[in-house]
Amino acid sequence: MRLTTYARTLHELSILCDQGFREVILEPKALARFGKLSNDEFIALFHRASELGLRVLLEWDILMTEDLFGEKVAALRELLPYADALRVQDPGALHWALKETTKPLQFIAENGNHNRAALEGWIDLCGGRLERVVLSIELSKTVIEDYVEHLSVPCELLGLGRILLFYTPRPLLSALLPERTAQNQDLAALGESEESPHKGFPLVENQHGTFMFHIKEFCLLEYAADLRSAGLGFFRIDQRWETPPKLAEISALSRHFDPQAFERLKEGYSQDLMRGFYLGNKTDSQFHKLKNSRLQKREGNYIGEVLEVQKASHLAIMVKNLRGLCLGDVLQIMHPKGHLIDTKVHALRNLALEPVSEVPPGEVALIQFVEGVWAKAQVYFIER
Amino acid sequence: MKSQKLPEVLAPAGSLDKLKVAVLYGANAVYVGGQKFGLRTAADNFTEDELREGMAFAHARGAKVYVVLNSFLHDKDLTELPEFVSFLEDIGTDAVIVSDLGVVRTVRAHSTIPIHVSTQASTLNVHSALLWKEAGAQRIVLGREVSVREAGKIRREAQIEIEMFIHGSMCMAYSGHCVISNFTQGRDSNRGGCAHSCRFEYSIEGLDTLEKKRAFFMSSKDLEGLRVLPAFIEEGIDSLKIEGRMKSHLYAGTMAKVYSEALRFYAQHGHFLSDDLRDWEAELSKVSHRAYTEASLLTPAGPDSIFNERENASEGEWRMVGTVVEANPKAGIVLEVRNAFNQGDEIEILPFRGSAVRLRALEMSDLASQPVVRTRPTTLVRLPFVSGVEAMHLVRHRINP
Repeated sequence: MRLTTYARTLHELSILCDQGFREVILEPKALARFGKLSNDEFIALFHRASELGLRVLLEWDILMTEDLFGEKVAALRELLPYADALRVQDPGALHWALKETTKPLQFIAENGNHNRAALEGWIDLCGGRLERVVLSIELSKTVIEDYVEHLSVPCELLGLGRILLFYTPRPLLSALLPERTAQNQDLAALGESEESPHKGFPLVENQHGTFMFHIKEFCLLEYAADLRSAGLGFFRIDQRWETPPKLAEISALSRHFDPQAFERLKEGYSQDLMRGFYLGNKTDSQFHKLKNSRLQKREGNYIGEVLEVQKASHLAIMVKNLRGLCLGDVLQIMHPKGHLIDTKVHALRNLALEPVSEVPPGEVALIQFVEGVWAKAQVYFIER
Repeated sequence: MKSQKLPEVLAPAGSLDKLKVAVLYGANAVYVGGQKFGLRTAADNFTEDELREGMAFAHARGAKVYVVLNSFLHDKDLTELPEFVSFLEDIGTDAVIVSDLGVVRTVRAHSTIPIHVSTQASTLNVHSALLWKEAGAQRIVLGREVSVREAGKIRREAQIEIEMFIHGSMCMAYSGHCVISNFTQGRDSNRGGCAHSCRFEYSIEGLDTLEKKRAFFMSSKDLEGLRVLPAFIEEGIDSLKIEGRMKSHLYAGTMAKVYSEALRFYAQHGHFLSDDLRDWEAELSKVSHRAYTEASLLTPAGPDSIFNERENASEGEWRMVGTVVEANPKAGIVLEVRNAFNQGDEIEILPFRGSAVRLRALEMSDLASQPVVRTRPTTLVRLPFVSGVEAMHLVRHRINP
């Protein structure tokens, strides 16, 4: 398992070299979400990285509408000779790079792509050009191990760094911080939501849009040995927001985990750390609570819904099935709170209050009043 | 290369009743969700029986039904998908809406149902559309950041059907690129558990200033593209999508009615220069909504597209009071009451085509013929018959005259 990371200065390149890195991610300002490098700076860093034996990965991870895409392709063409591989996230960038370049490609599949079939799909679409796939940090340990074992290209995973929660092209901070906007600078702020006990969500607005991060950083340093054993190809360290960067300590922990050294790192780290969903992703476990299952219709024997209950007079039932409702039918009525009431239809009228033997689908049936039934209750056949 | 083919009006249908409402009010197509695989876990969604019935209802009236499978599915979710896809093919599903390449491959392996790539995939440019086309997609639902002009270019150069949102709530983030709920609430927003964190108020503190500012800075105004219709038509956009499977029957009906009437007017006259435009806009304003914006349909959305208000500050002036469940001279107009109104109140009955029927509720009785002075929700009330009123017509009442 190799380490990979970002660099923005010549000095940082030297540190990477000292720490045994063999590659570096460089981010042009025009093409990368958090890029700071002008074209000249990028080229200078490329030359220095090459001298140091570092492979240069050009990060082109912004999403682009069509007009912007044309502009960015022009910018990319200037830098393409100075990159050993391209890292892309927009599927359009991937397609363009497949057609217009011969560079090795790395696909950032961090957004979604939570099934192996999807990742195999991207690999197949690239027809052998993909040299790496960057996995989502929402994947759990067992899933990561499965992908690492079965995918035909090496996988990369964030080992330590910020968790991006939100990305929009719209400028959301400008209106709130006009004095900073006037200086044409990137904007940085902290957000605190009224709905959440969490405070201090880092916010960034730059030329590519507005970004919000989690208050804690993602950290799998404790599990680096497991990931190495599983065969993970690349472990990414993101220190772009940590001042000063703690690359040496983190690199050492990645290679050999020392609990005491880890505690010291955490004490000196600017943000709290979390392992996200690494030990298990249960983000669908609350879904059954989002609606009342007793108001959900069942298949087959469903008749309809009680629209009105008139005490001592009738129940009005909207007949929603395809068979209608007949005199003599035996019904089961499910109260929204769950209890069940059985009844036989012994009085049946239509809305003109005429006695009828059957009410067709799509119409309202009036049956005898049944104690304990409320409007919205669901009605089912037991027998006809 | 401009085309004059009229786009379809694609309406949301969160339930079988809403499907019927949307189709009867003029939608050319509806999109619905089954019990799994969609992004609206809290919606009623359709059982398999309801999907079958909804398909038959829509097809009998010349409308199409698209089924959403647009969650970012995990491996364990995918195991149940093939059987559902086969079922969808058996009942004549016109297309499935998909955002994940694994789902695309699964659908293709088990059916020949046309595949529409969901806006969740944030397809924004020609090359992205080409990639999805190579993967097997027949249509792209573009990201809401794309302008109509750009969409026309994507359609021409990628040679693929294009669907765009014309109305409704908007994610502030690139769709599919927000995981706030996942990490702060433990609910996967991209599998149907979005907690709408973007709609809450935030306190914002600039890093080099001590001042804190409170704002709903991540909340977007609602999209409204009525006046952009000529551009959609000029660029040959194939489908105009209305957001809102969780929204009311009144919303589904009104949106389907307004946009289909506007397109029918264009088909007849070749332009939108009509006083009707004001009427259509008035109709759109009668449905509860946030402040409207054209967002990025013409130029990229700026700070003025932020809805810096609390949600309940934007109640509409009109409220749905019920649905006509039966209307004939013998039974009168029988209304299923959803929201209360009083005897003597002015109500409007919205026909499937044409202007609303305005009447004053002077005579109201319950089903036992007892006079009613104030209606109550979840009851039925009888009004005198008025010619032209039919079952399934929606009824509204002005709450802020």
